Order: sequence, then C-alpha cells, then structure tokens
Amino acid sequence: MAGEALLRVENLSKWFEVRRGLLAPPLTLRAVDGVNFELARGEAVSLVGESGSGKTTLGKTVLRLYEPTSGRIVFKGKDVTKLDGKELLWYRRETGLVQQDPYGAMPSFMTVYRILEEPLIIHKVGTREERREMVFKALEEVRLTPVEDFAFKYPHMLSGGQLQRVAIARALILRPSFVVADEPVSMLDASVRVEILTLMRELQEKLGISFIYITHDLSTTRYFSERIFIMYAGHIVEKAPSKELVREPLHPYSQALINAIPDPDPENRKRLRNVPPGEPPSLINPPPGCRFHPRCPYAMDVCRRQEPPEVEVKSGHVVKCWLYAKG
Amino acid sequence: MGDVALSVRGLRLYYGTRKGVVRAVDNVSFDLRRGETLAVVGESGCGKSSLARAIIRLLPRNVHTYEGQIILDGQDVMKLSDEEFRRSVQWTRISMVFQGAQNSLNPVLKVGFQIAEPLMIHKGMPKEEALAEARKYLRMVGVHESFADRYPFELSGGMKQRAVIAMALIARPQVVILDEPTSALDVITQANIMNLLKTIRSEWGLSYIFITHDIALSSELADKVAVMYAGQIVELAGADEFYTNPQHPYAQKLMASVPSLRADKKLEFIPGAPPSLINPPPGCRFHPRCPYAMDVCRRQEPPEVEVKSGHVVKCWLYAKGG
Ligand SMILES: Nc1ncnc2c1ncn2[C@@H]1O[C@H](COP(=O)(O)OP(=O)(O)OP(=O)(O)O)[C@@H](O)[C@H]1O
Ligand SMILES: Nc1ncnc2c1ncn2[C@@H]1O[C@H](COP(=O)(O)OP(=O)(O)OP(=O)(O)O)[C@@H](O)[C@H]1O
Ligand code: SF4
Ligand SMILES: [Mg+2]
Ligand SMILES: [Mg+2]
Repeated sequence: MAGEALLRVENLSKWFEVRRGLLAPPLTLRAVDGVNFELARGEAVSLVGESGSGKTTLGKTVLRLYEPTSGRIVFKGKDVTKLDGKELLWYRRETGLVQQDPYGAMPSFMTVYRILEEPLIIHKVGTREERREMVFKALEEVRLTPVEDFAFKYPHMLSGGQLQRVAIARALILRPSFVVADEPVSMLDASVRVEILTLMRELQEKLGISFIYITHDLSTTRYFSERIFIMYAGHIVEKAPSKELVREPLHPYSQALINAIPDPDPENRKRLRNVPPGEPPSLINPPPGCRFHPRCPYAMDVCRRQEPPEVEVKSGHVVKCWLYAKG
Repeated sequence: MGDVALSVRGLRLYYGTRKGVVRAVDNVSFDLRRGETLAVVGESGCGKSSLARAIIRLLPRNVHTYEGQIILDGQDVMKLSDEEFRRSVQWTRISMVFQGAQNSLNPVLKVGFQIAEPLMIHKGMPKEEALAEARKYLRMVGVHESFADRYPFELSGGMKQRAVIAMALIARPQVVILDEPTSALDVITQANIMNLLKTIRSEWGLSYIFITHDIALSSELADKVAVMYAGQIVELAGADEFYTNPQHPYAQKLMASVPSLRADKKLEFIPGAPPSLINPPPGCRFHPRCPYAMDVCRRQEPPEVEVKSGHVVKCWLYAKGG
C-alpha cells in the first residue's frame, strides 16, 4: 500500500435487531462483524462477496450512514466513529456514495440539474451562478454531453448507463476524498459496464480520490482497483493486491469464488467446476469458529471451535484462516 | 452429436405497440443437433427472450407478426394449431426455464405440485403418480425430496432454480430452452447449477438453447454460439472458433468488452447504444457503431456469408465482390 492511510477501520461491527413477528423477541443479525482495514490516499479497493455478505452494510457504516455497533473509524487522523452535528456534516462533505440501485436512488421528480445541484445547496457551496457552472462541469466530466441536453432531463428519460453517470457525478460534485461505489454497474451490459468503470477509474485517478468499489463480479476488479477485499458472512476473509489475489488466492473461500468464475473459453464446456456445495450461512446464528467451515474442504477441528485470526502471510496479503496460523 | 433435433428457418416475431411495430425477432435461422447446445448471446433488449418465446409459442397478446418454420424431428410444428401445439409439443418436446423463473414460482402452491404440473397438464398423468415423479426429479437435480412438500419461500435461491429446472425436465423433452437460468444467483451457486446442467446433458443427450448476456458464462455450455444484435443473428459459429476468433465486428467488440480473470487482456467498449427495434437503421443494423462501415453497409442489408463450414457471418466485409 502506497502513502499514508486516509482511512483506518478497526474492529468495526454493525449488528441489526430483527424481529420475526410482533411478539417474538428481537434477534441479532451480525451483518458486519469485526472488520479491519486501511485505505491509502488515492487508492481504489474492490470489496467482493456474495449477496448478503455485508458489503453494503460495511460501506454505509464506514460512511456513517449507519451507526456502528462497535469499533472505530479514523479518517484523516480524526476519530469519526461518534461525530455528530457540524462535524458529521464535514465528514459527509468529505465522502460520497454511489448507491446500489440507481433507479431507486434518484428522485423521479427532479431534473438531472436539480439532482446535481442539491448537494451543493445542502453544503452551501457557491452562488447560483457558480453552482450552475459546477453542475455543467460535472456533467461534462462524466461525458453527458451536450450538457444542455442532459441537464433538464428526468431520470426515467435516461438509459441505465446514463443514469449511472449522473449518480457518479453526484457523488463527486463536492470533490470528496473518499467514495463508496456500491455495485455501480451490476445492472448494465458488459460493454456499458466497461465504459462506466473506465470513466470512474479515470476520475478517481485524476482527482486523487480513495475508492471502495463494491461488487460481486470479481472479474472486473483487477482492472479497476489496486487491492481486493473478499467478504464472507460479515467478515473480511482475505485482503491482497488485486493481481496477486486473483492469481494466488489463499483463503479457501476466495479459491472457491475464483474457481467458480469462467473466462470465455471453449474448453469450459468439457469439464465440471470444482466448487463447494451449499450456500452462505445465516447471520443470525452464524456457525461458530470460522464461518466458512461447514463448506470448507480443509476444515480442521479448531476451525469449528475458534474464530480464525487474521494472518499476514506475505507483506500486504492478509488471510483470516487457521491454515495459515503459526503453531 | 447426431442428427438435427430442431431447425428454425426465417423466424419472425414482431410486437404491435402504439409507437410502432417492434421487430424483436427478424428472420432468424439455425439448426440444433441432438445433444448439442446453442448459446444465444447479446445485449439487453436484442430479442433473446423473444426468440425463446417464439420457439415455444408462449406469446404475449400484442403479437403483430409470427411466421417462419420450426422443424422439430422433421415436422414443421408452426403448422399446428395452438391447441395441437400445446398438446403435442409444449413442455413434452420443447420446454423452457424462464428468465427470473425462481421468482415466479407460485407462493401458495407446494414445490412438488408445481414441478408435477406439466405432467398433469400436458401428459394427463394422474396426480399421485405425477407427484411421485416430481420427488424423483427433485432428487435428481440435487434437492432433498422432502422439499416437495415445502412452499417456495422455504427454499434458497439456488434450490428454487433447481426446482424450476426439474419442472422443465419432468416431461422428458428433447430440447430445453434455458433463458438466463442463473442470472440472480451468486457465482458459486451458478457454477453448481452449470455443473448440474452439464451432467444432465451428457446423461440424457439433451439439446439446450442457452440464452445469456454473459459471454464468459455462455462458454460453460455452448457447442455453438449465435450472436444476436437488434433482432437478428449476426454471427453463428462453433464454440472453438467463436471464443478464439469471432468474425463479425459486433461480435469482436463484444468479446473485447468481456473481462478476463486469468489472462492479461485490455478491455474495450462499444461506443453508442443498440438501435431501436421500431426503426432500425437501414442496411446493416450495426453500421452506426461499426468502425469498418462502408457505403454499402448504410444502404443494403448484408447477406449471411458462410466463411467456413458451419460459420456464418452477416456482414458485408465477408461478402464476395463486396
Ligand atoms: N437495515 C437492515 N435491517 C436488518 N437487516 C439488514 C439491514 N440491512 C441489511 N441487513 C441484512 O444484513 C445482511 C447483509 O446485507 P447487505 O445488504 O450489507 O449485503 P450485501 O453484501 O450488500 O448484499 P447484496 O450483494 O445482495 O447487495 C443481510 O442478511 C441483510 O438481510
Ligand atoms: N410484449 C411486448 N410488446 C412490445 N415490445 C416488447 C414486448 N416484449 C418485449 N418487447 C421489446 O422487444 C425487444 C426484445 O425484448 P427481449 O425481452 O426479447 O430482449 P432480451 O434480449 O431477452 O433482453 P434481456 O437481456 O434484457 O432479457 C425489447 O426492445 C423489448 O422492449
Ligand atoms: S479457518 Fe478452517 S474452515 Fe475456515 S477457511 Fe480456513 S481451513 Fe477452512
Ligand atoms: Mg449490497
Ligand atoms: Mg431476456
């Protein structure tokens, strides 16, 4: 990892209380459970995991859109875990979110212009004229040109790819130093996906923003991020430089994930894939010990009893698995 | 791989709308051999699901044009009346796994009953016997047969998709159309379903039409590949040729946009967007986005050129004297 950390997340957890019925006692759902990582200035990291593994919850908790249950978030050397009022507003201005569902996240009654101007108004940025200039510049940046054509359209008049550009422009308009992009392209076709991710990457590098790119699509990640975090059932189970993780996954779950993903190859049809059966566990009663142990081909006795430690196997390559623990 | 199981010739399915006629399937032809899988790939809205619906004749109300030949084991089943088609073809000779099917299971009916329905409806099998079959098929697709007595909400996404596959297989068809059979599932579950489909295919000698927008995934099953663009097949080729050496400019661009997990490969994208199916561009429908477009491409529809045996490309670049 290059440079000093912009963001440090320590032992962060977000648990939800859920009820199965009006009179039933509340149950605890451990969506994010004891997560640690650092993010350098200008660095892009992909957060990969299956549906329900806690990616969105982690992203929103780090952005303080959810109250953390426990743990610490340190941003630019400042503990932001418990900020409120004016100081929380500062953190909001320093951060941005591209939401998972662009159709749901855009108010349908606002024009693109209004959608982009709103964060500027909330944070009292500029005069009317200056804001207008900033909105047009933002549209140009995401290549929605000619900008006059797009500025006064409503969300339903845009294609999925165009709408996602608006979402990116909105997340970047306050020039944040840290952005979470939650599945920004999962609903788009392959070609549009590449187009949007390329654009996002360009802007991220140009503006020096730190990025967490949430996705369940591992194959795009090494093109668009320096490191990959693999998430399983509320835990980050592996952290490594992108190319290294894809070439040499160490955690049995990461290995399974990579084995499951095809490249376009006519030989694929002739062979079966080596993947574990079963599905991720419930987060209300997660398995004791390692949460992957019921599906893990290497599970040992200790895996069933004790939560595995995070082991730095190589410099910058961390695995949460008993196979790599010394002793 | 033996003789031809299904032959489609000049198939058209147009929809009537207030804005005009939507040419969703526009003169599509291909052959499918016994035991063979044809993958149909293309971007959202290019007509893949419409092609599937046209083949199994499950059509919406607003059909404008429905014509062509669908030859199944030597018989042109387009000539059959709706009633005859339903009785003698639908589900028993051609079946289908619908796009998003795992979410369309009826929530108030037990899973076993829903799997058994095709036998009761299309084969007139008595209920008890059909339910026993349903249990057998559920086991075959890797779900414990006790789930026959459960309701859909009690099954995981992967289990529901297996149940829907059992439903498509239970009447023993020769051709199964799979429309995005894993699109809402996680990659590990998806790989497990692909393994299941491969195993069944090799044991039964089934033919699949595998519809997907995911090119990498298409290679899991495809013996040959049809690339659809704006309602037409623009390239049809064997898998070995297609994945290593696609010929149509659109197919080449599409392949270049597919990320590779293992190989170092530069990613590209296709500028612009697919055309309207109401007023498609004249000539070649891809010409506004094609880097090689020539004059003739803007004026005249390209012919289907057989560049090699079994490899057809609909493009002026390959036409002789063109
Ligand atoms: N507000 C909430 N209240 C209760 N449970 C929640 C809430 N938000 C998320 N969860 C639960 O927390 C777990 C993690 O959800 P989350 O949305 O973070 O997963 P994800 O990895 O983003 O999944 P996906 O890929 O489907 O978006 C899930 O079991 C989900 O049902
Ligand atoms: N009943 C209908 N009436 C009018 N137009 C329709 C109808 N059904 C589909 N269409 C249109 O026909 C075109 C082809 O749709 P189709 O569903 O076949 O595409 P597809 O390739 O399966 O797309 P996807 O990958 O999104 O599933 C689209 O433009 C669609 O909007
Ligand atoms: S800790 Fe044990 S069960 Fe978990 S992944 Fe490692 S070997 Fe498998
Ligand atoms: Mg999510
Ligand atoms: Mg479809």
